[in-house]
Formats: sequence, structure tokens, C-alpha cells
Amino acid sequence: MPDRRRVGVTSALLLTLLTVTVVGLFAAGPGPRDRVAELEGQLRCPVCKSVSIAESPSETAVAMRRSVAEQVAAGRSDAEILQYFEARYGEWVLLDPPAQGRGVWLLVLPAVVAIGGVVLVLTRARRSPDVPELSDDDRDRVAAALADARIRRHPDEDDEP
Amino acid sequence: MILAAAGWAGVMLGLASSIALAVFGFRALRTPDRATRGQLQQPVVGMVVGAAVAFIALEIALLTDDFAVSFVAGNSSRATPVLFKLTAAWSALEGSIVLWVVVLAGFTAVVLRQVRSVDDRLGVGALAFMGLVATFFFGLVSTVANPFEVLAQPPADGPGPNALLQNHLLVTIHPPLLYLGYVGFTVPFAFAMSALLTRTPGIDWLRRTRRANLVAWSFLSAGLVLGAWWSYEVLGWGGFWAWDPVENAALIPWLTATAFIHSAVVQVRRGTLQSWNFVLVLTTFALTILGTFLTRSSVVASVHSFTQSPVGPALLGFFVVVVVGGFTLFALRAPGLASPDRLESLASREGAFLVNNLLLSLFAFVVLLGTLYPVFVEAFTGAQTSVGRPFFDRMAVPISFALLLAMGVGPFTPYRAANGRLLWARLRPALLAGSLVSAGLVVAGVRSVAVVAVALLATAIVAASARQLVTSAPDRRPATLFQMVRRQRGYWGGQLSHIGLVLVALAIAVSADLSERTTATLRQGESVEFGGYTVTYTGNETIQRSHRTEVAAEFQIREGADVVRIAGPSLNQYPSQQQAVATPSVWSTPREDIYVALTSLEDGQVSVNLYRYPLMWTLWAGGLLVAAGGFWAVGGRPRRRVRSATPAAVEADAPANADAGAPQAVAVLSDPPAEQGEGRDRA
Repeated sequence: MPDRRRVGVTSALLLTLLTVTVVGLFAAGPGPRDRVAELEGQLRCPVCKSVSIAESPSETAVAMRRSVAEQVAAGRSDAEILQYFEARYGEWVLLDPPAQGRGVWLLVLPAVVAIGGVVLVLTRARRSPDVPELSDDDRDRVAAALADARIRRHPDEDDEP
Repeated sequence: MILAAAGWAGVMLGLASSIALAVFGFRALRTPDRATRGQLQQPVVGMVVGAAVAFIALEIALLTDDFAVSFVAGNSSRATPVLFKLTAAWSALEGSIVLWVVVLAGFTAVVLRQVRSVDDRLGVGALAFMGLVATFFFGLVSTVANPFEVLAQPPADGPGPNALLQNHLLVTIHPPLLYLGYVGFTVPFAFAMSALLTRTPGIDWLRRTRRANLVAWSFLSAGLVLGAWWSYEVLGWGGFWAWDPVENAALIPWLTATAFIHSAVVQVRRGTLQSWNFVLVLTTFALTILGTFLTRSSVVASVHSFTQSPVGPALLGFFVVVVVGGFTLFALRAPGLASPDRLESLASREGAFLVNNLLLSLFAFVVLLGTLYPVFVEAFTGAQTSVGRPFFDRMAVPISFALLLAMGVGPFTPYRAANGRLLWARLRPALLAGSLVSAGLVVAGVRSVAVVAVALLATAIVAASARQLVTSAPDRRPATLFQMVRRQRGYWGGQLSHIGLVLVALAIAVSADLSERTTATLRQGESVEFGGYTVTYTGNETIQRSHRTEVAAEFQIREGADVVRIAGPSLNQYPSQQQAVATPSVWSTPREDIYVALTSLEDGQVSVNLYRYPLMWTLWAGGLLVAAGGFWAVGGRPRRRVRSATPAAVEADAPANADAGAPQAVAVLSDPPAEQGEGRDRA
């Protein structure tokens, strides 16, 4: 085939470019972890509506951000810092419920739905009956009917519902 | 007084007409020979007139400061500017339900136009179900959400609308758009219920609700984007999406409705997924009611839940009725209507649609779970918990990437069974373009995995669409290409929406990973370096406006020595509200947004949050393109069935000709696939 070489070249080029992308990203590494920003994103602003202290301009949030920064600087662990705020404001302050106790539901239910859905889709595909091969005769008839349908088709007929 | 009476009369007329529509509709199904079309037409006219009278009365009362009307006394003031008096109608619960019945009556009238005679059992049933839904909403306005109560001692002035709802133009259009979307889903719901009740098999109900469904979906898309825009421009927290329960309440039905748009294609084209489509339509409608319940009751505290009233229990009750009634009818009737299983291979267009549906349903479920979790925990244990951005992002990001992947493959995959070689040929140039961009970004120093990955997928999706257009057109003149896009509105409207979504994804990734932010406290004349600019606080002034006190600070933004922008964020103090409302100043350029928001201003010292969001315009442009794609798909002349001697089964495959994939139909029939499009490619 005349274009086999072209396909080969594009494939090689594609591979090279993807390698550059992946290697470039990996070589850079994940970058330094910004623990302060991560923790701020997990704490709910007590005086606002459904935003974290990272996103709130309120004074309470500013004070809490300062406290997070100080505790991180003092070398306390993430869990310790989150516990500190939970003790003060209650479980309500944690925007990401811990994956233990009732918080497990937030992991289990999506997983169950996802797996159930995949199983459903796969069984649907497998349950399909085997369609016997068309005979040449039938094939010709279908092709003729199809060509006919195309000619008659209203030009403004929509193709998708 | 007269206005209150007129409004009330309108509501009563609407209520009586809705009941009549439901009664005559169901009776016409039972005894068609005794029914006439007029019995259905008159109630619909009554609904439209009643809703219009109520709405106009409410607006006139607001404009004329008629504080004897309870809604005006509670939600307007003499000092409110005229425009915000008009929009005050939907700034609180009662008025927004009036807007709801206006839209619902309008959609009912559109459905009536389709129903030419009482022999159209599917249409008559749909009208009856719309009458039932309208009965509930008119009932709501006439009882627990009555805006027309007459106050014996009218106040001299009112508190005005919620402060957040009277300082931006977006608020004038965002709620009506959202309602057009929400309420529009009543049409497919009513037709689905009618198809079940009247045992109408097939795709008739899908064909007849295509327009209403797409219109509703497009409006909801636009409403979501404008809501995000409003949040960004008005709320001053520097973001556009907080995973707030009220935002989620609008997103969840959008997700299921999007799934439905895709699965409806499968049923119309391939005759399968009948039951699943019923489930999706029922779910979408139920979710709009649930969303309204979440928004309009204080069940979850949030920015938008500005009211507490007996409407909550009423909406919850209606939600339960819809779910129980709908799914009972489904369980009783669907088995008799279910389509045969005809999925031949997962590697096909319909397989891609299935994957899309799986992902969108999972997405909707996850958002619903996160939104309701705190409600359920509190109901069962009394404990206060929160679910916020960390949870939603962790779930939504992988699902969104999977959706982007499906978006890149699905629309270019043939129906029935795909062949690897064909797919590879179609996607190779797109992947090449995508990887070229991603490699370029990495070489240019972008280190965000999300941004690079989205850029790759986005480029590939756009390139694949462009390639599909060029290779499936008879020639490459722009006029011909436009003709293709105009004739195959369904397909290309969908592709437009996909490209819009891709832009949205890009904006989300960029704003998450490449934005900058800083906080500064400045005295007059002091500066802060930010994002390559020097920002100097130059002073402030207090402006006394008719309905608020505005303290505006002034910042000079300099690039080098040149002043490139004067930013004027402000704090607004409303007489009726304790906390000041901050209005940020947003400087948008094609390259980036510089967002300046005040947090406090006292003793000559100003605290300010500065944000830099690169390429922010792509979010709004992309979002509006999503909606535009939906409208594009609806547009054009109404479809007319062409009578032909061609067997129906062949007819079902024939549109593939008009479809971008002329090769697809051929691929089905001949083996190896004769690739018309690909052939021309190589020539």
C-alpha cells in the first residue's frame, strides 16, 4: 500500500511526542507538596456557606489559615492539625469526611454503583444473539434498499434524535 | 389591593384549568369517543392566561411599590432600582414559583400544538400528566407559596431583595434560564409516563419530545454557566464553583439529562435501551423536583437557601409521589414495552453511548451522594457533617477524564461494530495533533499533569471533529462544509457542545493548577507585586447610592512603568443587611483574568485578595458553546417523515448516510469496510 510508510511515520512521530510528554512530566516530578494549601482546602469556613477557609475572604478564615500555617511550621502532622480543628469546631469543619465509620459509605456506595454499572453493560453486550451472516443475495437487496432510502431522504431530515 | 386580587384570580384560574386538563385528559384516554380536543384546549388556554395574569400582576405590584401585597412588602423597597424591582419577582420563593407556572403553562401550550386530535393517545396522556404537574405547582402558589396575600397594614417601605441578588445583571437572566431548563424536563417526563400508561411502544415519545428536551437541556446548560459566572463576578470568593448544594441541585439533573440525550440516540437509531430511557427521564424529572426542594427549603444551609417555609415539605411530598408513582407505573408497564437487546459489540457507537451513560449516571450519583450525605447523617444521628470540594474533586476528576476519552472516541466510531483499523485511521491525525500540543506544553515548561492531559484530549477532540467534517463532505469549500453542519444539526450540534465542554474542561484544569493567589494588607500608596504586575492602593471613596452605601477602593495595576488598569473593587452596605457585600473587580483579557476582591477597609488600611486566572474566558465561552450546540441541534425546520417503500429496518440505518459517517453504514454492510471517507483521504 502506498501509504503504509506514511502510517509508519505518523505512528513513530506520535510515539515520540507522547514519550516527550510523559517523560517531561515524570522528570519534573509531582513538585513540592503544599501542605498548607491542602489542609486549608479540607477545612470548612465556619462563618461562610459551603466554602473552605482557602476560598473564604472572611476574617475567621484568615485567622484559621494563619493557624494552619503555624502548625505546619511547627512540624505537626496533617492528622494532628485536622484533629485540632475538629476538636474546636466539631466534625462539621472537615470538608472531606474521614474514610472510617459512616464516612465509609462515601467510598463504598460509588464503588458499588460503578461495579454494578460495569457488570450491567458487560452482560448486555454478551447477551446479544449471534446474527447470522447475510447471504450475498440479501446483501445486494439491503444495499439497493439503502441506496434507495438515501436518494429519497429529505435533505433536512435530522440524523440524531 | 386590585393587583393582589387580580394575581390571586389568575392563580385560581390556572389551578382550576390544570385540574380540568388532568381530568379531561385522563377521561379522554378512557372514553375517546366522548372527548373533544376543545376539552383539552380550553384548560390549556386557561393555564396560560392564569399564569400570565398572575405574573403580570406581580410585576406591576413590584413596579408600583404596592406594599399591600405580601411579596412586595417582603422583597422590594422604594429605593430598589427599576430593573431589580422586575427581577425581584424571582429573587424569593413565592415569586419564583409564579415564574415556574408561567414556564410550565408555556410548555404545555407547545405540547397542545402537537396534539391535533383526541385520537393521539400518547399526546393526550402527556397533556393529562402535564395537567397533574401544573395542579401541584398552581396549588403551591395558591396555598403555602402565595405571593398575593393582602396585608391589612401595609408597611411604608420594604427591605428590598436579597443584597446578593441586586448588584449584577447576570442575576436578571440566570434564574429564568435555569427555570426554562428545569421546567422543560416536564415534557419528556409527561410523554414517558403517557407512553407507559397508554402502552405506546417504540420511539414515538422520544421523537416528539426531542425538541422540548433539547431546549430544556440547552437552557439548563446556559443557566449553569451563567450561575457560575455570577458566583465568580458577584460573590467575591475568587471561584466559580463551590460544590454548594444548590449548584449541585442544578448539576445533577443536567448530568442525567445529558445521559438521556445520548441514550435516546441509541434507541432511535438502534431500537434498544427503551427501559433505560424511561428510567433516565423519570429520574431527571424527579431530580429537578428534588433540586427545587433542596434550593427552596433550609434542609441544607447554603448561599441560595434564603428562605424557610412550608414549601419544603410540599415539594418533598411531591418528589416522593413522582418517584413512587413513576417507578410503579414503570414496573407495571415497562416489561411489556421493553425493546429487545440488540447490542452486538461494546466497540461500537452504541457501546460508546453506553459507556457515556454509565459515566454520567455515576457522576450524577456521586454528586447526589455527597450532597445528601450530610442531610442523612443529620437526620439519623443528629451529627453535623460536611462534604465539600476534596470529596467532589476526587470523584469528579477521574470521571470527567473518562468522559473526555469517550468524547474523543465515541462520535467517530461506527454503529453496530467498529473495526480497529478504521478507528485508528480516523483518530490517528487527531491524536497526532493532541500529542503535538501536549509535547509542546511540556517543552514550554508546563508541569501540570491535568492541564497537559486535558490539552491533549481537547486538541484531539477538536481535530477529530474537524477531520470528520472535512472527510465526510463532498468537497472542501467552506460553503459545502457549512451546509453539512447545517443539514446534520443533530450530529454537529452535538459536536459543538462537545467542543464547548472541552473548553470548559481546559478552563477548569488551568484554573485549578495554574492560577495564582495572594492576600495583602495595604495602606494608601503601598504596593504589592503580583503575577508580573505591581498593584498599588491609591485611595477610596464612599458613594451614597439610593439603596446602598458603596465604599469603593481604587488600585492601580502597573506593568513595568505603564498603568494598564485601574481596579475598583467595592464593599456594599445595604440598610437591611448586617454584613457588607463585596463586589470584586475583574479585569479580563484574552490571556488572563486579574481578580481583585476587598475583604475589609478600615482605618485607611485595606485588605485585599488578588487572583490571577489564565485563560478564564474559555470557561464562559465553552459553557455558552455547550448551550449553543444544543440550540443548534434543535434549530431548522421541523422534521417531516418521508414516505417511502423502503423497509423500516433499512430506514433505521439509512440516516447514517446523512450522518458524518457515510462510511459507517457501508462498514456495516460490506466486509472489509469500504471506507469512502478514508479512501478520499488517501487519494
